[in-house]
Amino acid sequence: MSERRSALSRTLTIGTVALAPPFVSLGLLLLFIWALTAGGGYFWPMWPYWALLAITALRAVHVWDHSRPEERRRPFDALIGYGAVWSLGLIAIWGMSGGHYFWPVWPMLGFLIVLGTPWIWGRSRTNRKLEVRVDELTRTRAGAVDVQASELRRIERDLHDGAQARLVALSMQLGRAEDRLAGKGADAGDVDLVRQARLEATAAITELRDLARGISPPVLADRGLEAAVQSLADRTGSNVTVNAEIDHRPPPAVENAAYFVVAEALTNAAKHSPGAPVRVTIWHEHEELGIVVADQGLGGADPAGSGLTGLRQRVEALDGWLEVRSPVGEGTTVRAILPRS
Amino acid sequence: MTETEPAPTAIRVVIVEDHALLREGLVALLTEHGIEVVATAEDGPGLLRIVAGHKPDLAICDVRLPPTFTDEGIKAALEARRRLPSLALLVLSQYVEPAYSGELLASGESGVGYLLKERVSEVRTFVDAVRRVAAGGTALDREVVGSLMRERHGTLPGAAIDTLTARERETIELIAQGRTNAAIARELVVTLGAVEKHISNIFQKLDLPATDDDHRRVLAVLTYLRATGG
Repeated sequence: MSERRSALSRTLTIGTVALAPPFVSLGLLLLFIWALTAGGGYFWPMWPYWALLAITALRAVHVWDHSRPEERRRPFDALIGYGAVWSLGLIAIWGMSGGHYFWPVWPMLGFLIVLGTPWIWGRSRTNRKLEVRVDELTRTRAGAVDVQASELRRIERDLHDGAQARLVALSMQLGRAEDRLAGKGADAGDVDLVRQARLEATAAITELRDLARGISPPVLADRGLEAAVQSLADRTGSNVTVNAEIDHRPPPAVENAAYFVVAEALTNAAKHSPGAPVRVTIWHEHEELGIVVADQGLGGADPAGSGLTGLRQRVEALDGWLEVRSPVGEGTTVRAILPRS
Repeated sequence: MTETEPAPTAIRVVIVEDHALLREGLVALLTEHGIEVVATAEDGPGLLRIVAGHKPDLAICDVRLPPTFTDEGIKAALEARRRLPSLALLVLSQYVEPAYSGELLASGESGVGYLLKERVSEVRTFVDAVRRVAAGGTALDREVVGSLMRERHGTLPGAAIDTLTARERETIELIAQGRTNAAIARELVVTLGAVEKHISNIFQKLDLPATDDDHRRVLAVLTYLRATGG
């Protein structure tokens, strides 16, 4: 904005300053002649002054228009500038010729019509282009989100069926080695060494499982949202009731987002109000998936906290919305609406 | 070091596991401990085929199998049991899913096990679990039991289970896994007498009839867990 203003002032300066010396000299000369001849009668130099000012203004508009970077130039800007100068000039003539009936209204109106028609037409064309673009972006974003969700499920699957399966095989071999060594009455230190290796492998499996669950819980992919949320409720360990009515499965991205909304809300409830009753309600209506997680805990959660902000971003990426109400002493309610497609 | 193992009767087992290394490892492990592996398969239809062909006592089954790698293992295992009701099932899973254990437990009267895959590395405990399940008993992973306990704990208003001490809670979780008193005593590093006392306290507090039979004991606990879950 400031760049634009400086461009404007620079061009006005160029437009006026370059013309200033000859015009000011001419103006003074005319004033001098008027003073000598008419001796203070009808101030006729106002007409040449008008002409000089009009030339200056038109030049200023021209210089301004051409001094802007190409990408900033819109076809109607210069026309509006010229039109404004022209209108002001007409109003000046009207004023100088004694006022009365405001005839400049007619040429100005004509100018507006001439200028306005293509402007409105261009505008609607721009709008159409924008609509097409918005459609395209919505579609490609939904595609990207879907691809991402499927990718996450694939990664989870690969972790379980690849790395984890190998680690299980490894830990089983170590277990058998330990068993055999112990059976042969081997040195206790040797047996212990193998046991430590086995426990390390088992710990790695546990970590991998937690990681995979964080990426995309297997039960969600296998059994869908209702089962996954029920499983989540069973795990949370607080007093959770689930009421879910989902008749057919939404796309993976929507399922994932819905799952993580419930997961985060339940985690928060368990952390801040352990033991408080929590009700999870999921329903679907008019191509929308609704989720409400309400606890009867202490409330006072910070809706701008990192967990809830992350959730909001996840939901908004799907054109959904998320709302957190947490008045102190009245519990916390997390609501989300997700479009199903 | 050994659990109070039943006398090794000839157990005939089939294994369904798509990962070759694990499948072969399991076969070797069980064979080493005198359990006969009569056939192996790599997917659900394979399981149904070998169960029909060999009429085994027990099927050890991975949850995730080709082609979709979701929960075919559970579905195939349940289908195999529908066709052969005497079949005991031991399902191995990469992750704990209480819903699966519920489906398995609800599926019939013969033995049921649901363990995390890595439990196979605790060789003796695993072999014990295989024997127990084949004999009609139960082997639930401690993770599964833990989440079932938390679930019930949460949904029972003024639950009787709240009156259990921490020690009693540990004990009931071990019972629910299908452990014997001797195994529980070892795990908790207490005397056998102390375990028996805990158990009688638990049964008293939960109003469950105590019996000497391990399997019925486990079933009683599980019945309680399921019944209170709604």
